[in-house]
Amino acid sequence: MSAGRGVSLLGRWALPLLAAAAVSVLPLFTSDPYLLKVLTFVGLNVIIVTGMAVLFGYAGQISLGHAAFFGIGAYASGYVTTALHWPFLAGAALAVALSALGGLLLALPSLRLKGHYLAMATLGFSEIASILFVEAKSITGGNDGLSGIPFASLGHFRVDTPQANYWLVWAVAMLTLLAVAGVVRMRPGRAMSALHGSELGAQACGVDPVAVKVSAFTLSAALAGLAGCLYAHFLGFISPSSFGLETSIVLLAMVVLGGPRSLAGPVSAAVLLTLIPFMDSIVPGLSSGVTTWLQDWRGDLYGIFIIAVMLFAPGGISGAVRSVRGWQARRQAGEEAAP
Amino acid sequence: MDATSLLQFLISGLKNGSIYALVALGFTIVYAATGVVNFAQGEFYMLGGMASAWVMTALHVPLAVAIAAGIALTVAVGLLMERAFLRPRRDAGPLVLIIITIGASLLLRSLARHAFGANELALPSFTSGPSLQFLGAAIERQALWVWGVTVVAVAALWFVYERTSLGRAMRACQVSHEAARLMGIDTAKVVMAAFGLAAALGAIAGIVVAPLTQTSFDVGARLGLKGFAAAILGGLGGFRSAVAGGLLLGVVESLSVAFISSTYKDAIALVLLLLVLFLRPQGLFGHAERVKV
Repeated sequence: MSAGRGVSLLGRWALPLLAAAAVSVLPLFTSDPYLLKVLTFVGLNVIIVTGMAVLFGYAGQISLGHAAFFGIGAYASGYVTTALHWPFLAGAALAVALSALGGLLLALPSLRLKGHYLAMATLGFSEIASILFVEAKSITGGNDGLSGIPFASLGHFRVDTPQANYWLVWAVAMLTLLAVAGVVRMRPGRAMSALHGSELGAQACGVDPVAVKVSAFTLSAALAGLAGCLYAHFLGFISPSSFGLETSIVLLAMVVLGGPRSLAGPVSAAVLLTLIPFMDSIVPGLSSGVTTWLQDWRGDLYGIFIIAVMLFAPGGISGAVRSVRGWQARRQAGEEAAP
Repeated sequence: MDATSLLQFLISGLKNGSIYALVALGFTIVYAATGVVNFAQGEFYMLGGMASAWVMTALHVPLAVAIAAGIALTVAVGLLMERAFLRPRRDAGPLVLIIITIGASLLLRSLARHAFGANELALPSFTSGPSLQFLGAAIERQALWVWGVTVVAVAALWFVYERTSLGRAMRACQVSHEAARLMGIDTAKVVMAAFGLAAALGAIAGIVVAPLTQTSFDVGARLGLKGFAAAILGGLGGFRSAVAGGLLLGVVESLSVAFISSTYKDAIALVLLLLVLFLRPQGLFGHAERVKV
């Protein structure tokens, strides 16, 4: 019994630590810029999906607007660092502040609404943002985009190699995960879980559902903005096509595939789904035909993933892992009980 | 601004508003039957126009045949979507169903791009000839088709709802699914009929407007949003309020082009949507609902 608990405790920490170590040392073994770029994209999506996992899995809300917050962060920091020559950290702070403010202003009125209205409000917000990204040409550069965005830097230290960008993004991603994992284990997370069960029940226990949902939404918007800022400085060029509805739906697909009430599930799904169109970076010798096909059909594939998960495995990856663990535990218990 | 230009903007607003009304009716019908907002409603609009235009150019068939094919395909897709994706999870709660319709919208859009191509397509005007003159303002002949088709569609819908047994079943489901089922109404059939009707309305809207504005695989999301805005203006309640909401949205949008900015025409409709959602989620003509334990 106690041995079993020791194993599960070890399991709880060993796997994330092992993953973190593997992620950290990877650039020491490869300098392939394409692979590092793809894995940096994975890290960016991990940051966004961590926030959305809190929103979906713990607060029970879906958003179709997170690509817009991602874009707000990217354009805010990209604009002030290029046109106004602000330092990177100031740009990053502005990116987070603006997207958080946008999230708060959207969440305050719309989270009083029932679920489907909220999703529609985020979709409307996302389309308004898309129009602004294209039309506010003096700031965003319109359809041509914003180019010449400087690398992230701190004083004289510039994050200007693929390795350095990889480390920066993944360091932020891991710190984010650590912080959010702490939040969902403590009181706010329990309040959110209670909401997921029964909103009225939670309310009766003293949980203010609007406050909890607004915090979750604002946090997820801020994280998307942070990722957007890192994205802009890592690529050096941004344009409206990266921040549209399709990006939002892909992010939603990651969260849905990951499953509710879990961070590990959505993070795994983010890794998996981000890599699909860039399969050639991790599978050496993959024919270019396969990659082209995957990129061409990724919209169809993501759509099918979303539907299939909802139809056959609404718990997503985390739900599947949970049921396998439960089955193992039951089997062990059965063996111990047997004479 | 002189009276003639104002009239011209008004005509344009009523033309777009009719399209929004048809899409809004699709939202309203599905919402009444299932309690769920169908995020793929805009894709029905896209599918109707794209399929008809593609059939006409690729298979060289007459316009009427292409239109029939476009509507038939869209209705088939709507029925299939309900039967294969939504019915198996109909008791799972609105969040699951909404996510499924979001997945379906992405799937339909991507499939349409593969089937009909990424280029813009157009249908020819239903009747050729110069625009008509009305008090100095010009009315395109296709605009008359838009209005005529909208009137016929709304009348047909009214007939189905008020005069047929299917319509009676649909109205019963709107009041209470459970009670309707207990009264021996086949609620599964009602939900399926609702999706079929919504798909037909979306397709008709997409087809009748295709000669005026070109269509492409990615027009569904924004038009769907505007249709939803129209439905919300009407409170997602009845047919009359959906039609009123659509016309109102079209006119407001058109007048905002006249008086504010044409660049932000689309954004204005969406800001209006957010304002109504935030300030009067029960719609302009509706009453607030009270939540009970």
